[in-house]
Amino acid sequence: MAERREIRVIAERCTGCRRCEIACSMGHCGMPTPERSRIRVLRLPPEGGHVPVLCQACEDAPCLKVCPMNARVRAETGAVITEAEACIGCRACLYICPYGAPAVAPEDGKTVTCDRCADLPGAPWCVAACRDCGALEAVCPGEAPRRACRDAAAALRPVLRPAGSRRCGS
Amino acid sequence: MRVLIVGNGIAGGEVAFGLRRAGSGAEITILSAETTPEYDPCSLPYYLGGEVPRERVFRRRWEDYRAAGIRLETGEKAVAIDPASRCVRTASGREHPYDRLVLAHGGSLFVPPIAGIDKRGVHGCKQLPDADLLDRHGGSRAVVIGSGAIGIEAAEALKKRGYAVTVIEVMDWILPALFDPETAGRLKRRLERCGIAALTGEKVLRIEGTEAVAAVVTDRRTIPCDTVVLATGVVPGVELARTAGIDVGRGIRVNERLETSLPGIYACGDCVETVDACTGEDAMFQLKHNALEQARVVTRNLLGASASYPGAWAFARAHFFDTHAVTFGKTTRATQCELGDLEIVEREAGDDYLRVIVKEGVIVGGQAIGRFADAAGLLIGAMWRRESVPALRARRALLGDGPHGTLPWTTRRLGELLELAG
Repeated sequence: MAERREIRVIAERCTGCRRCEIACSMGHCGMPTPERSRIRVLRLPPEGGHVPVLCQACEDAPCLKVCPMNARVRAETGAVITEAEACIGCRACLYICPYGAPAVAPEDGKTVTCDRCADLPGAPWCVAACRDCGALEAVCPGEAPRRACRDAAAALRPVLRPAGSRRCGS
Repeated sequence: MRVLIVGNGIAGGEVAFGLRRAGSGAEITILSAETTPEYDPCSLPYYLGGEVPRERVFRRRWEDYRAAGIRLETGEKAVAIDPASRCVRTASGREHPYDRLVLAHGGSLFVPPIAGIDKRGVHGCKQLPDADLLDRHGGSRAVVIGSGAIGIEAAEALKKRGYAVTVIEVMDWILPALFDPETAGRLKRRLERCGIAALTGEKVLRIEGTEAVAAVVTDRRTIPCDTVVLATGVVPGVELARTAGIDVGRGIRVNERLETSLPGIYACGDCVETVDACTGEDAMFQLKHNALEQARVVTRNLLGASASYPGAWAFARAHFFDTHAVTFGKTTRATQCELGDLEIVEREAGDDYLRVIVKEGVIVGGQAIGRFADAAGLLIGAMWRRESVPALRARRALLGDGPHGTLPWTTRRLGELLELAG
């Protein structure tokens, strides 16, 4: 069984280079075709930066409940994936997803989502491809929100306690 | 403890297997009026249309019940509950005792009072036997009565089987409960482009034919056909509960814990009357995701926890050929009998269409076709969180789209989608 991992997104570091999309499609389809990628870099409105969007494998995933074919399943790795043989391409999982994460495969209209590179060597490939920017990080399950909280708190520190100010209670 | 579950649909199966997954040692029995293991009614149109083989509709196999130690009594239709002796009687005359009872028998097809409705070639499309009959039925011209989600899906499936298909809707637009006329009109045109005739505002008067169906007569025309599919809606099954003295309204009434008015008897799935999770209003959304969530609440309560059900979510998709549409929350019509300022945000790009219904500054519903539908999740999220649209406008005006950190990306995407800047 593959080791369980999550992919943490640090959107501020994303430059929109889309190397993750190329790596993902290479890993899964053997072709550098971003439209087959399971991770998608969303360009936000004018100069708003970029966000890599991928399936978060929600604990209480709504896509698991709305799929008419029961094609959305939780894999051993903890990822939520679409069973291609069962999927009829109705996109219910895409519509209910709070991030709009599932990608629609151009050849058959079926949805695909991040499987955390289930058994690819050197995976996750998108994380490897994002080495320079560091917008994607492979972490242990549960670690992503912890790190996000820690980073947010660190970012607030200079605001709440400017350099040279007195410490609380001192 | 003996847990007796009436109904082997989505809700019933989820309770039974959920109890086992949680390690319950209860004696679990499911009474099913049907003869198969649990299947998914949502998938029937795709089996009928030949997109997936028949075995794909099943959610469980016979051996799953054996492995989980769940007794599945097929062909056993529950006809009476005796709450005093804690016992359910079936049509075959057998009695099944219980300590806890779960009513999950769903609803049945509403059969409209139309003359000739009992002729050969008139089918439902709600249960697996209906789909099997339609699968074996070798017709070539079909009339689908009713244009709800099931009607449209059945029409598509029959079209794919080579039938000439006509959909008849008594209301003024197709999918009347799910979409506004503006959205439905666009869907209707797309349906017609796919070769399916859609007649709205038209009433079926009778079905003609000697023994088998030969034609459907409406108030405007006669349509020759050899197949009629009834997609006229689902009525919640309340008789079993009513005769046992359980409080019923449109569906079986339950409290927050999904317990009926009689202690020890729970209800979940299509037979239950519940509330809209967003508005708290009475609601009956007979949809699979709600059945699953209700079943999980019942399971936890049976296990001794005190779980409460937040209410049902209105979310449905319409999908035929290359048309993809989604609807969530309320339609404009559903908001019309309420006070409050209504604002409709519309966007159109080519064939794609977005319609968001904002009431008193909060998104209460929306519909989308094509590309706009891909972002429906963001709108649904904003609706569920009751995010203020004027506040979103103000923030965008103040902060612009700014760099990262000023507004969450979901909020900015939402603003872009609604074109609320400035």
